[in-house]
Amino acid sequence: MTQIMKGIRVLEVAQMTFVPAAGAILADWGADVIKIEHPQRGDSQRGFVNMGGIKVNPKRSPFVEHPNRGKRSVGVDITKPEGMEVIYELAKTADVFLTNYLPNRRQKLKFDVEHIRAVNPNIIYARGSAYGDKGPERDTGGFDGTAFWNRSGIATAMSPEELSGPISQGIPAFGDSIGGMNIAGGISAALFHRERTGEALEVDVSLLSTAWWAAGTSIDMGIDCGQVSRNRMPTSGGNPGNPFMGNYTTSDGGTINMCTLTPGPHIRNVFEHLGIPEAADDPRFATAESLMQNWEPASDLIREQFASQSFDYWREHLKTMSGQWAPVLDLLQIAEDEQALANDMLFEVEAGDGGEPIKLVRGPIQFNHEPVRTTRAPEASEHTEIVLMEMGMEWDKIESLKEKGAIA
Amino acid sequence: MKPGTKLKSAVCDTEVMVIRGTDAVVECGGAPMVEEKATDGGAVDAAFADGTQMGKRYVDADGTVELLCVKPGQGSLSLGGVALTIKEAKSLPSSD
Repeated sequence: MTQIMKGIRVLEVAQMTFVPAAGAILADWGADVIKIEHPQRGDSQRGFVNMGGIKVNPKRSPFVEHPNRGKRSVGVDITKPEGMEVIYELAKTADVFLTNYLPNRRQKLKFDVEHIRAVNPNIIYARGSAYGDKGPERDTGGFDGTAFWNRSGIATAMSPEELSGPISQGIPAFGDSIGGMNIAGGISAALFHRERTGEALEVDVSLLSTAWWAAGTSIDMGIDCGQVSRNRMPTSGGNPGNPFMGNYTTSDGGTINMCTLTPGPHIRNVFEHLGIPEAADDPRFATAESLMQNWEPASDLIREQFASQSFDYWREHLKTMSGQWAPVLDLLQIAEDEQALANDMLFEVEAGDGGEPIKLVRGPIQFNHEPVRTTRAPEASEHTEIVLMEMGMEWDKIESLKEKGAIA
Repeated sequence: MKPGTKLKSAVCDTEVMVIRGTDAVVECGGAPMVEEKATDGGAVDAAFADGTQMGKRYVDADGTVELLCVKPGQGSLSLGGVALTIKEAKSLPSSD
């Protein structure tokens, strides 16, 4: 990957996935990201023992690798004044300060924007929060499960009314990972602005703003019309008004998602591929208007066709169909998906336990068709001495800070 | 041996930064570590051949020495013939 952020230093005082994921993206792009971790415990993220009910190997933890690859870790106790002095020294050398600590903590420990700008007026100060850095709930913390998924309205919209309650997010760090990319985008824009004008900006992204943006079409429409759409219960059949839209079950229980939003130009091609070419000549289905009007009988015909062949048959057979569709896969199947691999969606890093390399998903943006090349996530406090010595700190000073418990 | 300096294995590629410990003699691959590596320092002792891992911190039970591996190798680290162990972060357990 082109090292577009080479020469940019990010000082990250953050934990969990959302905000560290922004640091990981910038590190993938070549930034020198210094991650501050608690001297004894490290990032709280290192303590995950389960993921969605699946036991995590702490030596090969995706909770650590996904949001922290390519960084260097420095152990600093930010609750100690001597530790905060180290943060200030590092901030003097950084272009970006990245944090997800709550406003009251930033004030109490003195690393809010005014404290960091006092030592480095040109630093971009980027905050990730649950609900935004303004308003009555700016001091309320949260996770993607709370702010991104549930509070936002997304859980309700995702869950059919027939269910007894809202479905859960289902994918760990789902909102965090999307939000982290948003922060990385904001920081990139702020760096561009600083390059052009010399002005250093503050950047804010919340998990809620991430959700609002992702759900923006529905929210905007809801405000205007007074109602929002919700998921329907899963069935095999077309959506009301368009039989070329909807999920269809195959003979072996797989699912093909039809997503031909504008059916008119595809009527003959779709029916041919489904093995019922005569349907294209049926006056009920021959034009876009009649097909949409008679979506129910068309849906019945299509359902029968899909139920007559296997998932693998349709997956291969529909490749030449002009209308839009997709096989419904799971997250393990896409790890071997030819198209995903052709686009370098996975890369490998050395494993911290000395075992087989760990495969990691790359960020969504690619430059010049080049794959990501980076290193594994650091051990907690792996680079403390190296970074501090590089900064010009004498060994005696390092030892005295260690004796005080300010660094590790 | 002095904190803040580097030591090299005499018998493999391992290099460490001394983080803690003065005047102790640490071994790698069974042979005392050195500041300047000789061209032929001998072979890794099979009893100390578990290897070193980049970025790991190695400590003894009493906490008298701490070595940060800055270049991995085939030998493993010891102090007075007793294997050093990897220092781990003590994280609080979480589950989603």
